[in-house]
Amino acid sequence: MSELLSRRVFLGRCIAFLGSLIALMFSGVGAGYLLFPIFQRRKEDWVDLGPITDIWSGTPVKVEFVQRKHDAWMTTEQRSSAWVLTPDGKEFVAFDPRCTHLGCPYRWDDGRRQFLCPCHAAVFDIQGKVVMGPPPRPLDRYPCKLSEGRLLILPQPIQA
Amino acid sequence: MKLLAWLNERTGLDQVWRVLFARQIPNLKSPVAWFYTLGSAGLFVFVLQVLTGVLLAANYVPSPDHAYDSVKFINEQVWFGGLIRGLHHWGASAMVVLVVLHMLRVYFMGAYKCPRELTWIMGVLLLLFVLAFGFTGYLLPWDQKAYWATAVGTNIAGQSPVVGPLLIKLLRGGQEMGAATLSRFYALHVLVLPMIVGLLLVGHLFLVVWHGISEPPKRHEVAKGAKGKGQPFFPDSVFKDVVVAFLVFCVLLFLAYRIRVPLEEVADPTDSTYNPRPEWYFLFLFQALKFFPGRLEAVAAVLLPCLAILMLLLVPFLDRKPERHPLDRPAWTALALMVISGIAWLAWVGARGPLVNPVVKQDPLVLAGQRLYRELKCAYCHRIHGQGGTVGPELDKAAGTKTERWLWDHFRDPQAVNPGSVMPKFGLLDDETRALVAYVISFAPEPFTEEAPRLFADRCAACHRIGKEGAEVGPDLSLIGRTRDKSFIKTYIENPSLTNPTSAMPSYKSQLTDTQIEDLARYLASLVRE
Repeated sequence: MSELLSRRVFLGRCIAFLGSLIALMFSGVGAGYLLFPIFQRRKEDWVDLGPITDIWSGTPVKVEFVQRKHDAWMTTEQRSSAWVLTPDGKEFVAFDPRCTHLGCPYRWDDGRRQFLCPCHAAVFDIQGKVVMGPPPRPLDRYPCKLSEGRLLILPQPIQA
Repeated sequence: MKLLAWLNERTGLDQVWRVLFARQIPNLKSPVAWFYTLGSAGLFVFVLQVLTGVLLAANYVPSPDHAYDSVKFINEQVWFGGLIRGLHHWGASAMVVLVVLHMLRVYFMGAYKCPRELTWIMGVLLLLFVLAFGFTGYLLPWDQKAYWATAVGTNIAGQSPVVGPLLIKLLRGGQEMGAATLSRFYALHVLVLPMIVGLLLVGHLFLVVWHGISEPPKRHEVAKGAKGKGQPFFPDSVFKDVVVAFLVFCVLLFLAYRIRVPLEEVADPTDSTYNPRPEWYFLFLFQALKFFPGRLEAVAAVLLPCLAILMLLLVPFLDRKPERHPLDRPAWTALALMVISGIAWLAWVGARGPLVNPVVKQDPLVLAGQRLYRELKCAYCHRIHGQGGTVGPELDKAAGTKTERWLWDHFRDPQAVNPGSVMPKFGLLDDETRALVAYVISFAPEPFTEEAPRLFADRCAACHRIGKEGAEVGPDLSLIGRTRDKSFIKTYIENPSLTNPTSAMPSYKSQLTDTQIEDLARYLASLVRE
């Protein structure tokens, strides 16, 4: 009887083992399939914003651009913008147009020479530093580069 | 243990265990016992299909403008995407194999006899719905294979007498295949069929447990309907079921890993060079159609399959004698063997049937460029082979005059390399630019020597014609460059039967040097104008 019992227990364990093995192998593959967006880093292409002669020294300009981008299996044309300024026509800064607090679209106030956010009264100075209000960090920037007199940005905001 | 007792008191789990796992089944000896695992293996694959199907649905769009790209995305971008798709693809085939084998086991053992007639009928219905799963799922990737197999398949339904024209519109959601066809196949595949199959499975399994498992038949023995008793279902039978499920899973993983499920080019309803072929389990039907010409086609397409299904459903009512051993019912055994070998033979002949159209292999990058060319409506301004607008240059003629670098810069910013150009800037991405450059470059003729036309006149003109010169034994090659590129022509000259098994043309690989073949191919590829 004890031999019978041990056979039963043995087969039971084999069943549990093989069953778990199937489940484990499948869930491993399935987990990778479902979780991959977490580990995916978005790769953007440089976007041409046009000739730098259109950007005035000293005053931020809102430059709108249309960006073709991959959106999973689609390629879409997305309208975006950036606040661009240059102190001297050589160095360029491009700010992400969304407030670092909760993503509201801020604007430039020429009189006060500050960026004002309409949502929670945040104020940034011309360098993007927080003057007052709730934002946790200065304005995010896009990497910029010049190529043959044209300004290119990489629409991947970098947190200051 | 306390928790188990608590749960048991509230759910009656031990009763479930008693009914499902401790139930008595016949004493099955190897190797016969292994035949009894086929049904559970089918059930396992069904569960696997549901799980992989849910995963695939998370990245799939049932619409002609995105279906193909979303499957490509699964194949190329999503982690294990190709593997999951492979499991689902091979799982479908495994399902058909296992269900059919299970059915044969039941048939030859006479296990469908009283009182198990309804179990059998549900089983037959399950087989039909498994095939319906295969047919509806085949369309979803929306590639050439999918499109044409479904076009043919729905046309077969259209052959039905009287209701045919209605049926075809019902299946396609209109007269032509298109967006409505894809959505309704998707709805059938992921909503309707799983529900029906799920319900049928519950019924089928309930009856399996209710009637118990039939004893393996013995010669000259009349055991009517008795529940075979001798050992509990757990652990011996469960163990065998799990071993087989594990083996099936490993085989599917191996196939999915080793043989990538092909994704052909995106469906093109205007293509006349494609060879539509059904999935292997429909090949016998595909082949049968060739034997029934003209108006008789409905016999093979509709009448015979319907009769076969009816016959299958009625088997338990026609074969009512109590003998169950296959040798005790020789007529039924012989009939089944005949049908099986007939189907196998048809499938075999169908699989080996020559492809009428040569198989064209094209550079995927060039094809991606061609799609983009259509998507961006480049033909509004540009012409290729005389088709398109006249605002911009004719691309097939201009292609040879520009370098890849120039084209790249031009697509990025037309005005930068060609001041005053009216071409808009599209803001193309790197991979898009690469594809467009490859597409335009593909029109650039590669230089050939004066030797090539002479070689043609010498060696080819006995069968082929260019312009007014040559004979018409083989195809006229005057405009061959419009439809075939150099590498295709080169492969064809080297070994015609590789791309066209029925070709009468001899191989020239040993008769011409590699340089000569290259030269000749370049010359023929340049023939694009009248």
